Amino acid sequence: MNTINKFLINSSKANPEKIALIDENSEFTFSELEEKVMKFSSFLNQFEEKSVISLLFENTSEFVISYLSIINSGCVAHLIPTGISQHNLQNQVSSAKPRLALTSNSYFKRIDDIELENLEKLRFSDVKEISSKDRMPSPTDYAYLIYTSGTTSTPKGVPITHSNCDFSTKNIAKTLHYSKNDIDLLPLQMSHSFGLGCLHTSLYVGSTLVLQKNPKSEDILESIKKYNVTTLAAIPSTLSNITSNNNNDSLNQLSNLRLIITNSTFFPPETIRKLKNILREGIVATYYGLTEASRSTFMIFDGEKKIESVGKPSDGIEIKIKDEDKEGIGEIWIYGPNVIDNYWRNEYSENKSEGWLRTGDLGRFDEDGFLYILGRVDDLINISGEKVYPQEIERIVKVLSGIEEVIAIPMKHRSFGEVVKLFVKKTANSEITSTDILTHCIKNMERFKVPAKIEFVEDFPRTDYGKIKRFMLKE
Amino acid sequence: MNLDDDVKKIFFETFPLLTEYDFDWEKTQNNYEDWDSFAQLNLITLTEAKFEINFSDDEITSINSAKSLLEITKSKL
Repeated sequence: MNTINKFLINSSKANPEKIALIDENSEFTFSELEEKVMKFSSFLNQFEEKSVISLLFENTSEFVISYLSIINSGCVAHLIPTGISQHNLQNQVSSAKPRLALTSNSYFKRIDDIELENLEKLRFSDVKEISSKDRMPSPTDYAYLIYTSGTTSTPKGVPITHSNCDFSTKNIAKTLHYSKNDIDLLPLQMSHSFGLGCLHTSLYVGSTLVLQKNPKSEDILESIKKYNVTTLAAIPSTLSNITSNNNNDSLNQLSNLRLIITNSTFFPPETIRKLKNILREGIVATYYGLTEASRSTFMIFDGEKKIESVGKPSDGIEIKIKDEDKEGIGEIWIYGPNVIDNYWRNEYSENKSEGWLRTGDLGRFDEDGFLYILGRVDDLINISGEKVYPQEIERIVKVLSGIEEVIAIPMKHRSFGEVVKLFVKKTANSEITSTDILTHCIKNMERFKVPAKIEFVEDFPRTDYGKIKRFMLKE
Repeated sequence: MNLDDDVKKIFFETFPLLTEYDFDWEKTQNNYEDWDSFAQLNLITLTEAKFEINFSDDEITSINSAKSLLEITKSKL
């Protein structure tokens, strides 16, 4: 069983002169990166083992060096998204209780405003090498701490052990055939489980990782050409933007990719089709997994087959549908070496049951063992005893042009108990009306599922990761 | 398009099986096979959205024909 720091050490030993990391301003070979990490971790060794150290960085080499140094020094990296509000930043830090908060020059003011006893605050450039004894974490130690995005409730601290991470990383590399010959483009924050998993995989297989601070499609296409990128990891909206807003010549930059990986429980089929048409031989894939159980399934899309599925359970992972109804729909429970032991400071113990993680997600398996996600247990809309899954409504409405995002929630109703209320964010210059949407719904869904109210919004309340806070829309 | 046509169109959209031949302003709810409580909800929602009006609970329960929908809608414009 590896610890995360071994990913870098092993790749450095195997290919010291190979380029490991490229960002806007710099590039590092594996040996250069290892040397930087060793020096930086010698400074961090002054903190007790298992101390929490908070990181607030954009997608830069400074993040990678700081993160790996924390791991190497046997401490726990608390990863903070740059988009976090000051209120949530203060809450996370108060919960994580770090000994040190590290950041870049541009974010130092945010860190400096935090109030917490015994917290040191440093810029990356303030850290100087000092001499201190080497340390080595153990596989059962916590490696990093991420707070969930809070789409359904208050953010929860999720501590990941080295062994959780080692298991998931090997699963990613094996399932998606990552190798040292890959050049991986990452326009994703590494403070999120998706982006961080990509960093781990690159280090583990010894490929080259190209970091990009923003997910602008023109920058992504330019980087793919400039660095001869072979794999791209991006969220669905980034991929949809790329396919919708670029001409065929620009999209040809994607054609030689061998892999496009995304992370959604719902990846618009239209985007999948477009990407498949562009790629010569490459694959389009997604996965399902919470921060608490990273990469629990993988789905490699093959034409129209199972296009709405998140795939089959990863090797070594068990998934069951608990309390399923007559249609086989119930709560998804996950068991395996990728599942966390506990939440931070043993809170939320009710989410674990005899080693199983109760995800709160609703799903079903088809006859071939492919998993489909239908929404959240808490989001179910109960209309006169009929269960309605918000995602089903949203998928039907989303196909209309002129709609950027749509959310269905329950609304109290004196006769039916609950009915569907729809919040719609239009695309720029869209002229779509409530009547257009309702007419489409009446044609395409059962009567009881047709929204009883439609409200247009400029935008949705969002988490620090940009996800919509669905629970805040409910009455 | 005038108000009569708009209301009639709402009826055709709510009841996709309805034909021009079958449509009658006086025909009441009991004579529609598929005018159940959810169809009533669809009809109201579509009318409210189309004309940007709101019906009270009493008004909703009194709507039982194309004619009554037209009259109540007219009174609100």
